[in-house]
Amino acid sequence: MNANPRQEPIPERPPSIVPGRGERGVGGAETPIVGWPARLELWFARRGAQTVLARQHRHGPLTVQRTFHPEGEVCHLYLLHPPGGVVGGDRLELSVDLDPGAHVLLTAPGATKFYRSAGAQAEQGHRVRVGEGAVLEWLPHESILFPGARLSARTRVELDPGACFIGWETVCLGRPVIGERFALGTADLGLEVWREGRPLLVDRLRVEGSESLDTSSGLRGHPVSATLVASGTSAADLATARAGLAPAEGLLLGLTLVDDLLVARCLATAVEPVQRTFRALWGILRPRLLGRPACPPRIWAT
Amino acid sequence: MAVSARVVDMAITTTDAPAALVRLLHLVSPSLPIGGFTYSQGIEWAVEAGWIGSARDLEAWLGGQLRGAVARLDLPLLTRMQDAVAAGDPAVLGRWTDWLIAARETAELRAEETNRGRALADLLIALDLPGAPAWRAELARSQAAGFAFAAAAWGIPRREAAIGYAWAWLEGLVLAAVKIVPLGQTQGQQILARLGAEIPAEVDRALALDESEIGAASPALAIASSAHESQYTRLFRS
Repeated sequence: MNANPRQEPIPERPPSIVPGRGERGVGGAETPIVGWPARLELWFARRGAQTVLARQHRHGPLTVQRTFHPEGEVCHLYLLHPPGGVVGGDRLELSVDLDPGAHVLLTAPGATKFYRSAGAQAEQGHRVRVGEGAVLEWLPHESILFPGARLSARTRVELDPGACFIGWETVCLGRPVIGERFALGTADLGLEVWREGRPLLVDRLRVEGSESLDTSSGLRGHPVSATLVASGTSAADLATARAGLAPAEGLLLGLTLVDDLLVARCLATAVEPVQRTFRALWGILRPRLLGRPACPPRIWAT
Repeated sequence: MAVSARVVDMAITTTDAPAALVRLLHLVSPSLPIGGFTYSQGIEWAVEAGWIGSARDLEAWLGGQLRGAVARLDLPLLTRMQDAVAAGDPAVLGRWTDWLIAARETAELRAEETNRGRALADLLIALDLPGAPAWRAELARSQAAGFAFAAAAWGIPRREAAIGYAWAWLEGLVLAAVKIVPLGQTQGQQILARLGAEIPAEVDRALALDESEIGAASPALAIASSAHESQYTRLFRS
């Protein structure tokens, strides 16, 4: 039933272009940065009663595990980036296409780490297109930016008529658990949702240096910033979501409804309360929007 | 596009700088009946939450917004809107307006943009601004679009128009915040003087931005504005 392509071995990072890992410190400033490009394209389609990964194209170290169907129709899939981290000059590109009527839940086993850069910027591009009447649940872990990382990330969601998207993105600047601050480095993080060629939401968070961490109308000193977006929502969904979410220690939360997009924004002192809140919100919205109870990916329990 | 051409003609013939200055003063006047002082852009909630409790807090909040969203989102889009009007191209104006609205982070901020846009569009028609009736549908979606239209039609240069827009934004919020925090009138005027002095440099930065550099989110403001939607006691509309 399921057309799982053969899993190819992941290539090792070529030694000539290893620019050094952030935690070890980067060598000389003259270290040549070539970067490691990765591109993964996934096409999903409905086959009978199930959604399957119909086709994939892969270049470089970004890949997926085997698909599975714990709730029947919905295709669950985990994204993998085996190198375990991204350095300046690397480029990660993911393109996801859902044919009409497909239903996919994408998540990952863990956070994506962006290490200190010797100068070059790391780039991450996510483009997803959700076809007519299709559903994409985009539930990745956080991106962790080590101090000195330089990241430009873009997520662009394109919705066809009747398409539904529920997704979140979380960025963690530095590692708050060890009291580490993102004192150096830059982040330029874009999240856009478009429907039939018009923008519904265009969000762009920029962090440039220490003082931008403390802007009073911006991050207010919080290392973690996160946004959840759900399309096809109503004022009643918003009211139910507001009533159903408990306040959490160290978390600022705001929910709003713009057109039919419910947008939840968090600022937090750690990733954990954001994760808990967003999973709870997903648990509230999924039955209302998709007529299904939440089916937490098993990997979240590990 | 005969109507649009008239706007351009008028902009070209109004090269009289003092006349343009008078138009600009009118356009940024607090007496303009477009509801300036009924919006707080999240400040009302931020005060209740204890985020803004002093003149210093307010200045930090507004300064962050001026250097952030105003300089990197509003102003570069405003100036492109003005160019679109001068070029007689409502479709391009519409594209910049789509962008601005999609970048307004909450329901209240979008409602503010549109409600004030509608009021300004009707006012411009009442002031017999040539072309305004034909452009009304586009102008009524966004206050910035109406401002850009008026600036183009009255021959106000882009830089001056952007300075005026930033000043009107700042003045409106300071006057709202003086009531909410509350602060003394003099404290409000001091904030206006200090942040106002930053406006020309921010405008120059904004006008030099490439299209790929446009955009700046304000997460705490977005959270404050979202929470304001369900704030128990509120006097302001955003």
